[in-house]
Amino acid sequence: MIQIQEPDPLQYLVQRPEVSERFAALKKRPVVLSVQHLYKTFDCQTGTVTALKDVSFDVYRREFMCVIGPSGCGKSTLIRILAGLESSSDGQVLLDGNPVTGPGPDRGMVFQSYTLFPWLTVKQNVMFGPRMSGQRGTSAESEARQWIDLVGLSKFENSYPHQLSGGMKQRVAIARALANRPRILLMDEPFGALDAQTRCQMQSYLLQIWRNLDITILFITHDLDEAAFLADRILVLKANPGEVNEIIEVPVPRPRTPAQFVTPEFISTKYRIDQLIHPNHGGSEDSLPFPRMTPQGDDVE
Amino acid sequence: MKTDPKKASAPREPWFAARRELSAKRSAVLTVFSFSLPLLVWCAVSYLPFLWHPDVELEISADREGVTTVYTPGDRVSEEFFPEFADAVREQNLEVEPLLSFDKPVEAGSEASIRRGNKKVLRHLAPLLVRNGWLTEEQTKDDDAIYSAWKEIATGAKLPTKPGLSGENLEIIRRNWAAMSRYSESYNADNFISRPLLSLIPQGRPANPDYLPAPHEVLVSGIKEFSKPAEAERPSMWQRVGHSMRIVFGGFLLAALVGVPIGVICGTYSFFSKLVEPFTDFFRYMPAPTFSTLLVVVFLANDAPKMALVFIGTIFQLVLVVANTTRRLDLPLLEAAQTLGANQLQLLTRVVIPGIIPNLYNDLRILLGWAWTWLVIAELVGVKSGLTEFIETQGRWRNFDSVYPVIILIGLIGFFTDQILAFIRGIIFPWTDDGAAAASSPLAKAVLFVPRFFRSAVNERLPYQPDTPLNHESTFPKQA
Repeated sequence: MIQIQEPDPLQYLVQRPEVSERFAALKKRPVVLSVQHLYKTFDCQTGTVTALKDVSFDVYRREFMCVIGPSGCGKSTLIRILAGLESSSDGQVLLDGNPVTGPGPDRGMVFQSYTLFPWLTVKQNVMFGPRMSGQRGTSAESEARQWIDLVGLSKFENSYPHQLSGGMKQRVAIARALANRPRILLMDEPFGALDAQTRCQMQSYLLQIWRNLDITILFITHDLDEAAFLADRILVLKANPGEVNEIIEVPVPRPRTPAQFVTPEFISTKYRIDQLIHPNHGGSEDSLPFPRMTPQGDDVE
Repeated sequence: MKTDPKKASAPREPWFAARRELSAKRSAVLTVFSFSLPLLVWCAVSYLPFLWHPDVELEISADREGVTTVYTPGDRVSEEFFPEFADAVREQNLEVEPLLSFDKPVEAGSEASIRRGNKKVLRHLAPLLVRNGWLTEEQTKDDDAIYSAWKEIATGAKLPTKPGLSGENLEIIRRNWAAMSRYSESYNADNFISRPLLSLIPQGRPANPDYLPAPHEVLVSGIKEFSKPAEAERPSMWQRVGHSMRIVFGGFLLAALVGVPIGVICGTYSFFSKLVEPFTDFFRYMPAPTFSTLLVVVFLANDAPKMALVFIGTIFQLVLVVANTTRRLDLPLLEAAQTLGANQLQLLTRVVIPGIIPNLYNDLRILLGWAWTWLVIAELVGVKSGLTEFIETQGRWRNFDSVYPVIILIGLIGFFTDQILAFIRGIIFPWTDDGAAAASSPLAKAVLFVPRFFRSAVNERLPYQPDTPLNHESTFPKQA
């Protein structure tokens, strides 16, 4: 039998010099988003449920931060509070030092369901934000065209959302959110509904966009690969109640390419997240009491 | 034996597959059947004498002594009653027979009344002669002509065929004629037979009750009624149609004008929903017609109380339906708009309203059908008017062949309004599913030409300007 070697669980902490330099520089940048002792409780029939408990973290300017955690850890609740779509029970959220009280154009949001306005064309969707803030006519339109260019959809600027594929819709949604020039882009599992190939493509697109703009991104995902591939730092949450488990500094150097999926830095990061999210991984608890229902022979394992 | 896969025909699609669309051709065929089958059933019941036909339509009637109910040809009596009626006349004839054969003297002084009775007996043949084309409608009291017709039939010179005479009645005519000809060969008021004649035995053919006229009768009456010009105190049928449509559309549009904003507000804000909807929900169960007398008091005569009834009958449903439609709008769309900086008013005008409009349009289409159902009751409020007045009067006279064309017309107006509105929906809402299909039809292209022309003209003025690019460096300066 082949012996599978357990990786060193702490190898992810080892950073190359250029990576540690990068993190040192990053932490010197101003804090864009500061979450301080955030609590969220819900009242339901069985009593009070704590969804988030004492969550605190900072996101620095131009940082790409991923939030990951087991299901039910309150990832979505967290991002909805940051967007101002829900209120917190305690604690506060500061954007550039100002408390967040409700939804606003300074925090762009990309949802998992595409949420494009079906009655508007691609261009009109992208122009929606600027239009709301009173920008009109020529400038809004030519600007919208450039945002559409940025996500590579110039040919589709007059198409309606129902004529686009899932990946294209999500690109429009990103362009629409960026057109408002937000301080931070909140992304709630934006690629969760896409097929694996499109998701890969979208991840590369997003990294390219991020590299070319001064934009801070907070990205929620449940996909370990996605988190390790995209993020500067990964916020790992615990479930019931949702608490900060660890903030991992991803040791994979930038620029990122899919070729890095097999590097020791990448694998050790993934291994660490996996350990945090599924502490009992591989234990007997996971295996189902499943009886053998087929005779043993050559044709079955 | 091997079968060539190319030659093997494709497996036939099943006609009955749960929740599976049929091909366009099959759908079209079934749509045609959907209309032609009920029509076929109606034709079959009307034109096949062995189907149903529970009544007898009289071709020849008779008077019975001491019975006040008088039937005239064209009247319908039930199948059960008809033999009873005929037997009563036969019995009556038995008493007359000895007098007619001069076996018995008639009572002195009764000649005048006998002659009057005899004239009636002769005239009982007239409707049958009219239908055979021997007499015109005006000649049914022309005793000269009727007398000579009796002679022709009795002598066998000519026999009615459509409809014909029963053998029994032919015999009666011959025997009557034998007696009549003793007095005079032609009609002579002074020398008319003073002995009682045998009555013709009632004769008829199987018929349906008068409330189910045959298709051709309905068609003929329909054409007749709809081509009648207007007279004083009597509007033409088209004026009535216009009047009825004014009431339905007027009441409905008022209800929509008031109800849609309320519904949208209720669907958007829970505050208004909880404030308005419970009472609306209660009020809609109070039948609108119960307010009719009240409406007459408030709005007086003419059309106002009628439209008010359609309004009351529609608006409460409308508010609830519109509120529900508004609530069905995808919540994430509202949230996305908020994160893009939309304020309360913009949320309502730029997201909620455009978002629900295709569904709102459909709701209004269905509610317009609902408004039509109030038409008849509305037109009975106060002074009867419009199509309902016509239906009411004609129905009371049992002229059902004139009533059906009007009922069918109301159905057709409603049906075609709905079909046209459904078709237009796809054209004016190109982002909806049926919009994609409709937008490619030639009619849609014609309708959309004008707005598209303007849009392209505007786009021309706003060219993409690559020489003045969005300055990423200034808006999002790159970090070192």
